[in-house]
This record gives sequence, structure tokens and C-alpha cells, in this order.
Amino acid sequence: MSEMINFTIDGRNVSAKRGETILKVARREGIYIPTMCYLEKTNPAASCRLCVVEAEGVDGMVLSCQTPPTEGLAVITNNNVLHEERTNIMRLYDVNHPLECGVCDKSGACDLQNKTLEFGVDRQHFTAKEQSRKIEHWGVINYDPNLCIMCEKCTHVCNEVIGDDAIELKFGGYKSTIIPKNSDHLDCTFCGECIAVCPVGALVSSDFQYKANAWELERIPSTCAHCSAGCALEYEVKTSGAAKPGEERIFRVTNNFEYATLCGAGRFGFDFDLRGEKDGKKFVAALEAIKAADAIRFSSVITNEEALILQRLKEQTGVKLYNEDARLYREFVTAFKTTADGHAELATAADLKASDAVIVIGSRIATDNPALRYAMTTAARHRGAKIVYMHPLEDALMQNTVTQFIKYEVGTEEGVMALLAHSLLEGVETTKTTAAFLEALDDGYLSAESNVGEEELARIKKQFKRTRAKTLVLGSDLFAHPRAENIAKLAGLLARYGGYRVVVAARDVNTVGVSLICDLDVDGGSNENVVGYNAAGAFVIAADDAADLTVAALNQQEGTVVNLDHRVLPLNVAVGFGGYVLNDLANALGIGKRYTVDFTPELPAEAGFKAVAFDSLENFYSPLGEDSRGYPLDKGKKPAAQQCEAVEELPEFNGTVIYYCDPVQQFNAFTARTAQLDKATELRGSEQFAVAARLKDGDLVVIGSGETARERTFVVDASLKGTIALEPTFDRGIAGRKTAYRFEKVNIMKASNDE
Amino acid sequence: MSKVYFSTWKSEQINNIGKPEEAWEESAYKLPMQYNEHSDAKAFIGWDGVALYDPEVDVVRLATEYAAQYQVYSEACGRCAPGRWGGRILYDLLDKIARGEGALSDMDHLKEVARNMQLTSKCEIGKTVPNPLLDLMTHFEADFLECINEQKPSKHYNEEVGYIAKITAPCMDACPAHVDIPAYIEGVRDLRFDDSLMATRQTMPLAHTCGRVCPHPCEDECRRTNLDEPISIMALKRLGADYETDHGFGFFHPEEQKPSTGKKVAIVGAGPAGLTTAYYLALEGVHCDVYEELPVLGGEVTVGVPEYRMPWDKYEKDIEAVKDLGVNFILNTRVTADMMRQFETDYDAVMIASGTRISKKIYCDNERPEITGYWGAIDFLERVNLYVKFGIPLTEEQKKEYAIDKDYVDLTGKTVVCVGGGFTSMDVVRCSIRAGAKRVVMLYRRDEKTIIRNTTYEEYHEAVEEGVEFIFHSAVQRMNDEDGILKSLTVDKFELVPDPDGGRPQLVKIEGASFDIECDYLIPAVSQSADLKFLPEEWELEMTSWATLKTNGKDYMTSRKGIFASGDCEYGPMTIVNAVGQAKRAASVMARYVVSGEVTLSDDEVMEDQLRKMRVYDKNEKVTGWLPGLPRQHSEILDVDIRKLNNMEVNFGLTQEQAIAEAERCMRCYYIAMVAQ
Repeated sequence: MSEMINFTIDGRNVSAKRGETILKVARREGIYIPTMCYLEKTNPAASCRLCVVEAEGVDGMVLSCQTPPTEGLAVITNNNVLHEERTNIMRLYDVNHPLECGVCDKSGACDLQNKTLEFGVDRQHFTAKEQSRKIEHWGVINYDPNLCIMCEKCTHVCNEVIGDDAIELKFGGYKSTIIPKNSDHLDCTFCGECIAVCPVGALVSSDFQYKANAWELERIPSTCAHCSAGCALEYEVKTSGAAKPGEERIFRVTNNFEYATLCGAGRFGFDFDLRGEKDGKKFVAALEAIKAADAIRFSSVITNEEALILQRLKEQTGVKLYNEDARLYREFVTAFKTTADGHAELATAADLKASDAVIVIGSRIATDNPALRYAMTTAARHRGAKIVYMHPLEDALMQNTVTQFIKYEVGTEEGVMALLAHSLLEGVETTKTTAAFLEALDDGYLSAESNVGEEELARIKKQFKRTRAKTLVLGSDLFAHPRAENIAKLAGLLARYGGYRVVVAARDVNTVGVSLICDLDVDGGSNENVVGYNAAGAFVIAADDAADLTVAALNQQEGTVVNLDHRVLPLNVAVGFGGYVLNDLANALGIGKRYTVDFTPELPAEAGFKAVAFDSLENFYSPLGEDSRGYPLDKGKKPAAQQCEAVEELPEFNGTVIYYCDPVQQFNAFTARTAQLDKATELRGSEQFAVAARLKDGDLVVIGSGETARERTFVVDASLKGTIALEPTFDRGIAGRKTAYRFEKVNIMKASNDE
Repeated sequence: MSKVYFSTWKSEQINNIGKPEEAWEESAYKLPMQYNEHSDAKAFIGWDGVALYDPEVDVVRLATEYAAQYQVYSEACGRCAPGRWGGRILYDLLDKIARGEGALSDMDHLKEVARNMQLTSKCEIGKTVPNPLLDLMTHFEADFLECINEQKPSKHYNEEVGYIAKITAPCMDACPAHVDIPAYIEGVRDLRFDDSLMATRQTMPLAHTCGRVCPHPCEDECRRTNLDEPISIMALKRLGADYETDHGFGFFHPEEQKPSTGKKVAIVGAGPAGLTTAYYLALEGVHCDVYEELPVLGGEVTVGVPEYRMPWDKYEKDIEAVKDLGVNFILNTRVTADMMRQFETDYDAVMIASGTRISKKIYCDNERPEITGYWGAIDFLERVNLYVKFGIPLTEEQKKEYAIDKDYVDLTGKTVVCVGGGFTSMDVVRCSIRAGAKRVVMLYRRDEKTIIRNTTYEEYHEAVEEGVEFIFHSAVQRMNDEDGILKSLTVDKFELVPDPDGGRPQLVKIEGASFDIECDYLIPAVSQSADLKFLPEEWELEMTSWATLKTNGKDYMTSRKGIFASGDCEYGPMTIVNAVGQAKRAASVMARYVVSGEVTLSDDEVMEDQLRKMRVYDKNEKVTGWLPGLPRQHSEILDVDIRKLNNMEVNFGLTQEQAIAEAERCMRCYYIAMVAQ
């Protein structure tokens, strides 16, 4: 049977891939078929019925959004009959739709407005009893059922792409509405994707509502700065003409929701920009500090161009460069490649989305990296992917995607990875050395210490039996693990022999870029003679008002970052910045260029960068979803092959253990200072933890001692199980964020009231 | 076959208006004539027309009420633009006319909206609701115009008239359990697997099971067949069940369990019928004690259906869903007549769901059960399954009885002959292959086509692939033993001789064609009968001519008040879904009975039975609005060389992509049927 189906649309010869619908082919061919409810990234809702077409020899009208063509079919997309029925549907949509376009947020970018005009519906053709319904306020989201046309895009995206499954239809015919699922209030991660996909003004941002009209806003395409996914977004700012004085600010963030997805941090956490002013004294102080510094410590929340400036500085002055996040990531990836041989190329979020078998290990992925969670949700819903989630802590957010949760003991990640290799490569042909290595593993001991049982491993294999696209997601718990190198090498075996593609879930927006550009030194941890760049130091230069010298934030700079897909992505200036930037300092030190982005074409070719000028980088998805954002890195050099080391004793973590993990929507000091994002700074633990630590909900506690001691309120989180508590780090400020193994044994004391 | 005054049902044009009743022409269809348990209907209106039984019917009001029913339905749906708004407008305009406020333009608007709904609605309900309305507006235009022109209400507009409506679909009607199939398929299409499962569980608690081993009579009456091939309805049921199981959710029950009524029911047998009775009674707040003779739950599906078709870990989930509602199970307890007498006083009602567990004889010469090697199918499968699924070994006596020296049924080097042709015999021969038999023969009186019809195409072909020899048109004439040990069978061959009078062809023995088969085992799997010795004799329960318990097939009460029966012990050996369907209905009747002491059917149930009698599916109907030629998806099955050596599940089920593609083929053939008082 041929893979392609040949047919015609409006007389034009076209062909469809297996599973492709008539609508998809038409769009690919540039043939217009109207829709109101169609969303590219979800299964068709099939609610609007506008996309009906006729087909020769077929009685009646066929729904093009969910019907694949048959060989030789002759499709007609428009004629008088179709036009009449589509017009009737639009007349129905307009029955009692409130005439409040003048104040509606959606006006000017509204599908209902557009289609009403397109079909020339200029009056109410049919009548039905009017109903008055209450507007719902769901935190950052407002829902107006009077405006809702029940296209179902929001419920589909929430369930199929995000995975929250937090809203559903309340069936009621003419009275149908969208309601929170199984709850009287909206209980979700507030990604706001429902707002994005809403074709009318029914679901809107409560912060944005009534602030501006669509046509007054200028859209600035950029890249989200909050995590390594580097999602596409558009900052919407008022153009100078329409803006009131002092109103130059980001009004909202939108995204190309047909093909891309944003989490709540990306969508609502946009106002981390700074005013900035040029203070000569501070600038000189910064220059002096750099000249005198032994080392510069910097975070990965910077651009490639800034990283290159720092690298040039090192090359010129020999100053050391500290960035443990990027260094450990790089070492981890390098170690992985030494055993992965020909399978060393890292997988992307798109690969993950197309997987039907996934193992996640070493990450609280839903909050660490929402984009990867969404990829897994898509894989689970659309491909029925079997998803194994291995971690010491279960995550309730992942329940409807994960098909098997395997709990391992804190610190035993190396043993867990060895067990996985041993079990999943059983019966697979490897080399003699590898076979001998696997054979020599003491799985009895590893099982006992890690608490990962034989049955659990057998169940993975049973689940994965029919799967064809397997992916391993390795999280940031692993990078700073004392045995990170061997963990990575063991994962390399799964890539080389087990057919697993590997996603390494880097932490920050430019962890990958920095790891490729800078020659990093091992950070001893002391601040003495260290200049911090968006990081701790004796002198701190940072996109932070409290810094010794304040520089621009990532939504105020041109530049590029490399996301975990190894794609170079452009950032743009959404809001101006009045102060100095790193390039100004570089110029004063003799290594700068006119603009920071003049460094873009000079990013190192050996790491895969292309000699492309910043201004020629595109940043959009084509109408058919082709990713035209920046460019993908060329494949880097493969390191020399190495062997895995023997797995020795696994560590034990007894006593009170905490896991450093930010709440939903929070990532770092930048998200921490935005207005809309929820800032839960509490220490969260299960009932069981509370009992063991003798704490009550609401207790004020002191965590740790000495310099690192901090006070937090303890709260009992009913969704948690086990004896590990979660402590956020996003609120520690730019200087307070560390890179270390994410579990830690600590003392937690109840803060006594009389002190 | 129905006496009507006027009918447009399925395009028939019967118009007895003005004729004397003796001269009335009859409708060709078995139309619903009952309004409820107590009275007759005056009209029936549905997806394919309208029938009036009485000249007094107010047709304008009838049309309005039918549109109102669509409103009620669409309040449970509202999933497409034409249906959501169109349905509302139909009703508003019809009601406006009926109450005497209509305008002539309303008739035009009605026709316009009706056409839009007919052409573009998402499901058949939206497409078909306008049909009888347009029929009425055409044939009784004068009545409508009178209301409009004179601005007066229709003739019975202000009177109390009852209307009873029901949603159905061809597949739902065909399913003995009347599962809301379009809803669970829609759940798959929407990737809302929890909704899918809850839709199934409204009438079918055994979603894992009937997603695997149901003979799916629904697929024979799937309307998609009229276009290309039926939807793979059964296989789509698995997705919801797997979702619940895979993600470790609790149980998605179709509704919240009602608070305890303080009533108690005893159930005899924990098979599909017993489990179903318990599930739906428990949901209604009735406490259930289920008595089971075997050491395991699940009845014949557990000990009869092999692991490779119905893995225990999945069936167990279905059973856990029942347990989750607090149903109490008492294992290893064979109910006696004394217990039954006691039940009658201790409980508010009793359900007998004890199945048919005695293998019938094949009636050949020398058929003596004491011959070693003669092994009833039910017993054989029980021995196999108890070991495979639960590791329960053969006892020493059993080993001796079956001449097996291992702890489990090991047929290495043995020849097994099974006589049958139904599902049980298929299970026997395929289990024999897996038990290592050297040669496995199935003797069947009829031909290949019939065996496929009695089982499934897949079942037969998989058995052939695994190496089962089928000998058609054959029957055992005699068992040949030496010292009480089976050695061989003498088998007669038959041929089909056409009846010269045009009747059913007769099987006639071919003289001289008989032959012997050397064998170690003869396993009769022709049929089973009910073992009802535990019933108190003095109750004198009425029996059918098949020696099963007699009920009226509607409320499932036996001839003794408060004693109900469902499943195979009522119907005779039949399918799981049949048992579920009977038990679901019985549970509904019992839930009312234990409270009121009366045996009643709900209006919905009366309608359900009438529609089944009429049949919702019409194989001659022409389907429009759907593209033909989209192939049915087939699930992958385990390779024969692997599967015949073990008990791994043979059928992998549809992949997610296949399931979605299959769900998108479903045409959502919901219909509304309504009767008027």
C-alpha cells in the first residue's frame, strides 16, 4: 500500500501522508477552509462544523478537520451551498453574543469578529431567549461565559498539551459553559494557555483586562528567559504613539499557541525588567573590581554574547570563570558522550513529544522544566506513551501522564542508573567489556540500597514491550551528584545499546550556551576577589537593583541563548534600559564591540555556532508550524570513548532531608520579582514529614545553621508523601542561588517565639 | 404490523386520516405502542419519522415537545454550534407557534435552521431531530398555519399530556448491556479517558473484560457498516480502563454512591452477572453479600476464559471496582437449600447468578465419565486457569483422575480431541496447545463459516495458526477404551444435503467415511447446563424448557417473589455482556423492589425494550455526511511462535494512534425516540 494518498482539492492534485486530514493538506497547500475550533496541536474538537466540505460521490457534507482523504477523492472546499451553511453557522454563533466589542480585550484579534465580517452577518438572523451569566474570577484568569462560544480549544489544550486537565465542559446545550474540573475554583498550574487559545474574549488575563486594545500593542518576538526550554514568546508593549508617558512597559506576553506552548512563568512573569541609569561611579567601581578580580562568577541567565565577552576577558587577563551550573552540565554531557558512541546526539523536546516510552530520572520535571512536562503530556495523550517517573518524591502534577512511579532512595541515583542499564540491556548484544561490566554489577545490593525492586524493573520492560521511540530524560539532580560522571556514562550505555534517546534537562535559559562558550574553572565557593555577574561575589554586577552595578535584564537585551534543544535563539529588547551593560565594561577593558550583538557571529564555530549576524536571525513559526527560530547548532565534536566505572557503595541519607525545588511558576530571582506569579516561599512537607520532624502546619522553622540558616514557614502539603520536604530557592536573590546536589541533610528547628 | 392512524416511519406513507378504523392500513414496523408499564401510547416520534395512533394527537404540540426533548438532550451535550443554538431555536420557534404567537416567517426560519442542523451537526441526533418535525410541518401544515393565522394555541397546548423520550443508538440498542457506546468512543476521541470509562461504567462495570473478550454484537449493528466497515467498538473500551489502571487513579464510578438504604441483598455467584448486580445495587446504597463456591472471584471469566485472552490482573481491576463500593464477598462457600431458605428471611432480595457449570455430554457410544481421559471442558479449563492465574496446583486425586503427574495440566506428548464449536471449545484447544499437547483436534458438526459465526474470525484463525486441527462435519460415534483408559475415538463424517423442500440443509452421515483417532483425552465442550440443585424444592421455581430459571426477560424475577435470576442460569450459556445486561436491569428492578416491595420497570426501561423489539439499526439505510472507505483499525497480536508457548495476552489492543483514528470514524449515531400519552 502506498504511503501517500493522492486526491484533489478544488481540482488541484494533492497528496496526503497517512493520517493527515483533508484540512491539514488544504492548509499545507494554501487552500482556505474556515474553522473556529481547530487547534493544530490538539485532537480536533469538531465543534464548530465550519470546516465541512463536499466530496464528489459522497452525499452530504464531510468534516475536513478529522477526516483523512481516500485515494482519488475530489474535495470541494467552497460553493454556494457550503457558503450558505457556513453563514448559517456564523449566524448561530452570533445569536445573543454580547455587543461589547468596544470594551472587549479580544476586539481586533477576535476570530468571531473576523468570521462574522467574513460571512457578512450584519444582524441577528435568529433569536433565542437571552441569558445572563456570571463572570468567573479564577486568579490570573477571568472567564466570561456570555462571550464563550464553546469551541473547546481551552479544555483540549489543558488536557492534551498541558496535562492539568483542570477545566471541562459543563454540558447544558445553549447554557453550556466551561467549569473547573472536580472543584469549585480553578486548581491548576496557571499556565494561561487557555487564555492563549481562546478565539474570543471569554478567557482573558485578569491583569491585562481593560488595559489596552490589541491594535495599540507592539509585538516583540523573543525567547522566554526562565528555563532551559527557551520557549517562543512575544512581549506586547505599547508603541510610543499610543502609550501614555511613563507607560513604556510590557503589557502582556502572547505566544504562537498553534505550535508553541508557554508555562505560567513565561506568560505572566514578564515584568522583571529594570529602569537602570548610567552611574559613572558605579561603572568605575565595577571596572576596578574586574581588573582586581581573580575570578568572575556568573549565572547561566545571561546571553551567549555576554558569555563570549567573559570568555574573551579570561583569554585576555587570565581571570578565572566560575559557573558551576554550566560546568557540571558540560561535564555530565561529555561523560555521557564518552559511552554513547554513535548515539551521543542529545534529543530535543520535539523528540520527547514523539516518544512512546519515557523514563524520567533526577528531576521534579513539572516544575523544573514545564516544557518537557508538556511534551510528555502530548506523548501520553496522543501516542499513549508509557511514562516511568523515577524520583525519591512523587509528583501529583504528573499523575495523569505517568504510568509508573518508581521511588528511589536519596543519593542512590548511580545505583538506579546501573540497575536500569542492567535490566533494560538484558539480552541486548553489547561489547565484551560492557557485557562483563553489566554482568559484574551487584544488582542485589543496588536494589536493596536504592529500593528499586526487580518487579518494578520488570514492569518497565513489560510496559515498554511494544514501544518504538524511547527517551530518557535526565534531570538536574544528577549533574551535581558526586557520581555524576558515572551516572552519565551509564546513561550512555542505554543510548548506545538500548535505543534510548537522551534529553538532558539543563536548568537555566542558557546553561547549554555557556557550557559551550566558556572555559570554566572549578568554583571553590569563596567570594574573595570574586566579581559576581548575576551571581554572588565580593562585587556584584547584576540585573538587580541591589547590585553594585545594575545591568539590563534578559527582556531588555538583544542577544542569543542556546536552549536544551541545542537551538540558538534570539532575545529582543522589549523595554529599554538606561544603564550600562556588560559590553560597556568590555569596551572600557578594550575587548568590547559597538553592540553586544556584534559578538553573535563570533560565537565559537567549534561548538557548533554559525557565523550569522544577529539581525539575520529569524524568530517565528511558519504558518505550517515549521520552526524558524534562530538556528540549530551544528553537531559538536565527540569526546574519546571511555568505560563506565564500577559502581561502588551507595550513599545513605538518614535524618531530615530537604529537596531544593521551586514551586510552580518560579525559577529564580527574576521570576521572584514579577507581579503576577505566585510566590510560595514556604517549606512544604507531607503529613508524614510533619510527624517525623514534629512540626505543625504554619510553624515557623529555622533550616540549617550558621551562614546558611534561614527562616521559613512550614506548611503541610496534602499532595506530598514521604519524608522529604521541599524548599524553594527562587527567593534567595541573585547571589543566593547555588548549584549543588539538590537533596540535603539539614537540621530543622522550630523557631521559638520568645527569641 | 403496528396499527397506526398515520405514519412516515422510515419513509412509509400511511395515511388513514378520515378512514374508519377497520379500514386502517398497518405500519410495516414494530413501533413502540406502549407509553409506560400501564398505558398505551398515542404517538411515537423519532429520528426517522412519526407515527400517530390516535386522531386526537396534537401534532403541533408533539413537534414542540420533541424539540424540547432535543433541548433536554443537548443539555447533556451541546458539543457543536448547529446543535447547541439550532436546537434551542427550533424549540423556541415551535413553542411560539404552539402557544399561538407564531408568525409565518417562523416556519421559514424553522426550515432554515433544520436544514443547517441536518447538514452540519456533529452527531446524528442533531441531524435527525429535524426529520419528523419537517414531516409534521409538511403533512399537517394546516394545523401549524391555523395556530399562526388565528394566533391561538394548538388544541391540547394547555393540557397535561405526558411525553417520554429516550436516547438510543444502533450500537447501544444492540448491546445487551445497552452501553453508551458513542459516549465512551467520544471520550477516546477527546482523549478524556476518565470520561470514556465513566460512560462505559454507567451500564457495564467490567470495562477491562468487555474491552477484550466481548463477542461485540454491537459491531454487527454498527451503522458505519452501511458506509464501509464497523467501528472496532469493543477494543476502544479498553482505553478508559487502561487509563485508570495505568495511572493508579482510584475508581471512576459513573456516579457518586448513594447513602445506605439499610437494605441487603444476597447474590449467589461472583461471575459477571453476580458482580454486575452487586455493582449497581451498591451504587444505589444497597448492601450486597456475594456467595461464591470457588476459591477465587470472577466466575467463569476467571476459571473458564484463559489468561492469554483475559489476563487476570486486568479482570481483577474490574472486580476491585466492585469491591471499592463496599460489596462483601464470601468465597469457598457453596450455597445450599437451607442457606437459600435463610437468605429469604435475612435479606430483602436474592439474586441467583450461578451460571451454567456442568459440561453437557456429547451422546456417543460408551460415553462413560469414569473413563480416564474423558474430561469436561468446564473442569478442564478450571484446572488450567487456577494454576496459570493463581498457582493453585492439582490435588493428588485430580492427578490420578486426569492421569497427569505434574502439579499442573501438562499435556506433553498427548493427543487432545475436543468436541465443540463455541468459545469454550476454542479455549480448550488453545489451552491444550499451550499445555504442550502433541496433537490437538477440534471436531465440529458444521462448517468453517458457522464456527466463525459462533465465535469470532480472530479466535478461529488464531487457533488455526497455533496448530489446532479442525475437522468439520464430524462427530464422535464411540469412545474406545482399554481397561477404562481412553485410547481412541471413532468419528463419523457428515455432509450437508440440501432439503428438496427448500428447508434448512440436513447433515447426513457419509457411510464408510468413519475413521478412528488415537487420543488421550476427549473434552466435550458442546454446551453447559445449570446446576440448580441448591434451590429449595418446595419453592418450585418455574424453569424453562432448557432447565434454566424462568423470568419474563424484563424484570428478571423468578416465579418466587423477591428471588431474581440473571446470567447463564437464567438464559442458558451465553455471553458475558448478556449476563451483564440482564444483571444491570435486574439490579435496577431490585433496587426499587427492596424499597417499595413492588416489581416495576422504569419508563426508560419500557422504552428500551420496545426499541430493541423494533430495532434501531437499519442495514438498508443510506448514510450521508461521512466519507466512505476509511479502513477499520486492527490491533497487533502476539506472534504465533511466541504465544503458543505461553499464556501472554495475545491481543495487544489498539495503539493510541489507531484508537484515535478509529474513534474519529464513529458517527455518533444517537437518536431520540419519544412516545406521547
